[in-house]
Amino acid sequence: MVRRLSSLLTFVVVSVVVLVLAVLLSFAAGIRASLKSSGHPENILVLKSGATAESTSILSPDEVNRMVQTPGVANSTTGELLISPELCVQTSIPRQGSGAMANVAIRGVEPMAFEVHPEVRIVAGRCFEPGVLEAVVGKAASERFSGLQVGSLVQLGRLNNQVFEVVGIFEAGGNAFESEIWTARTTLASSYDRRYISSVAMRIESPAAVPTSLDYINGPAVRLQAKTELNYYEELSSKTREIVLLSSVLIFIMGIGAVFAVANTMHAAVDSRRREIAMLRTLGFSRRSIGLAFWFESLIICLLACGCGLAGSMAFSGTKQDFLSDATWTVLAYQLQVTPDIALTAIILAVTVGTLGAVLPAWRASRVPILEALRKA
Amino acid sequence: MVSIDIELHDVRKVYYKSTLAIPVLEGIDLQIAAGEFVVFMGPSGSGKSTLLHLLGGLDQPTSGSIRIGADYLEQMSETELTRWRSHHVGFIFQMYHLVPVLTAAENVELPLLLFELSSRERRQRVELALSVVGLAERMEHRPSQLSGGQEQRVAIARAIVTDPDLILADEPTGDLDAKTSTEILELLQLLNRDFGKTILMVTHDPKAASYGRRILHLEKGILHRDETNQPIHTSR
Ligand SMILES: Nc1ncnc2c1ncn2[C@@H]1O[C@H](COP(=O)(O)OP(=O)(O)OP(=O)(O)O)[C@@H](O)[C@H]1O
Ligand SMILES: [Mg+2]
Repeated sequence: MVRRLSSLLTFVVVSVVVLVLAVLLSFAAGIRASLKSSGHPENILVLKSGATAESTSILSPDEVNRMVQTPGVANSTTGELLISPELCVQTSIPRQGSGAMANVAIRGVEPMAFEVHPEVRIVAGRCFEPGVLEAVVGKAASERFSGLQVGSLVQLGRLNNQVFEVVGIFEAGGNAFESEIWTARTTLASSYDRRYISSVAMRIESPAAVPTSLDYINGPAVRLQAKTELNYYEELSSKTREIVLLSSVLIFIMGIGAVFAVANTMHAAVDSRRREIAMLRTLGFSRRSIGLAFWFESLIICLLACGCGLAGSMAFSGTKQDFLSDATWTVLAYQLQVTPDIALTAIILAVTVGTLGAVLPAWRASRVPILEALRKA
Repeated sequence: MVSIDIELHDVRKVYYKSTLAIPVLEGIDLQIAAGEFVVFMGPSGSGKSTLLHLLGGLDQPTSGSIRIGADYLEQMSETELTRWRSHHVGFIFQMYHLVPVLTAAENVELPLLLFELSSRERRQRVELALSVVGLAERMEHRPSQLSGGQEQRVAIARAIVTDPDLILADEPTGDLDAKTSTEILELLQLLNRDFGKTILMVTHDPKAASYGRRILHLEKGILHRDETNQPIHTSR
């Protein structure tokens, strides 16, 4: 009875460890997927020197003008330079469901933005008109926050007294833009009284030309900070790497706990079956086969628990989560996904825990002294 | 049929408790022919079980030699002895030692798992062994659903299922009432007489001993007396 309880407890412990592992890994994978799909290899993002994110970057119109001379900038079909000055502000909007407030980024753009970021496509309604209080909302944001559907009115502005109408929903290939609200730059600038620009995105003709363009902007001619968009988002996602690292430590500690739980259960199993073991040894079962039997038993417990933990994590899989990016202080929507890789990692973890926990008990089982164990009835 | 004969020469067994030496067997010389039914008797602590364990390859003598058929047990490694046991000996214990979660058939099947047999062959052998002990109807019962006598018969079926030449029984009727004991002893007699098994049995009970054809008396680690006996004839 005690042993059955201990087996159950071990089962639960291993399930929980696997569940946590799967959820943490899928969290990391989800964030990475959402940030990775952001950024185009030929796109350059320009910020104020020293700024780590768009939210802390302030560029004057003068500085923006200096960039026009950047070598290698691509032209639109109509012959304009693919340079998109953008203004980024944050606002609080209640979440869908809980109603708790969360920060959402609003990006003020010019028509050129849609050519520099061709992945941004209006999928419902229409685009905003400049000079009118209209906005379009990223798909992820419209799902996560209440009152961001087509036709919704939303109070924005520095004094929260400007009523914008949501006129469209856009997709952006699942990237970070989908967590944002977009409107015309001039409209946003006057609503929030921000007569400056946060960042400039520009499209370069070819990836080969990108280093020259970066050098030009970083150099004395412009003296601003330019990165490829890929780099920028990668740096943002380095935060998730820290989280993954921390959670790895957590999982490691939990894993050690699980090993002890398994060992405890298996020791109890060996103790309660000493006579059975001795009987099997008299029949001619080898020490090795006895040890292996206990190892398999431990593996079976752990793999079943792993299955349970993974099944539990599947419940979270596919759910939309959001994550407060501490680089931008805005909420990034992402999707939890339990990938085959994660399932495999969980199985490897379960096998490792099952094996490490079983080593000592299995060895003890194989060494049960036959006669002594048979005598003690 | 492989005739197994047994020869012990000056077999000694000493247990050590820290520095204290406890001599248990003090020079046993003994020959047993194939097909004998030998009973070991003697006071408690005289070394009967110890001797039986040595004969079954469960332990090694401190000195002396034990030849069973062509094998010298004292020269074998632990691994070799383990393998030897699975091929040559069937053990029957006072406490039956059945696995409670397995059915009678599964308990009997256990030793067959060490042999390369198809599950059909195993099934046939299990059925045969259980019908020899008269439990063909109880294949799917668990030990808790069987009486003591039936449990011991399952244990006997387990001991004979691999068709060993040698059957070792340590007080097989120690836990059973007189009537059930008789059934078990008659079963052992049948195995000896009709199946030609060599049977070595330890007992305290003179009535049980009377089923053997040869009775060896042990006292303080020495073979004290060796008598032949006219075994009780069963009614069949
Ligand atoms: N592992 C051991 N360590 C020390 N002494 C032992 C050990 N095993 C047996 N002995 C001793 O050896 C002696 C003989 O034991 P054994 O079990 O062979 O006696 P037995 O004749 O079978 O007695 P019983 O009729 O009570 O079963 C006893 O004094 C016992 O205490
Ligand atoms: Mg004894």
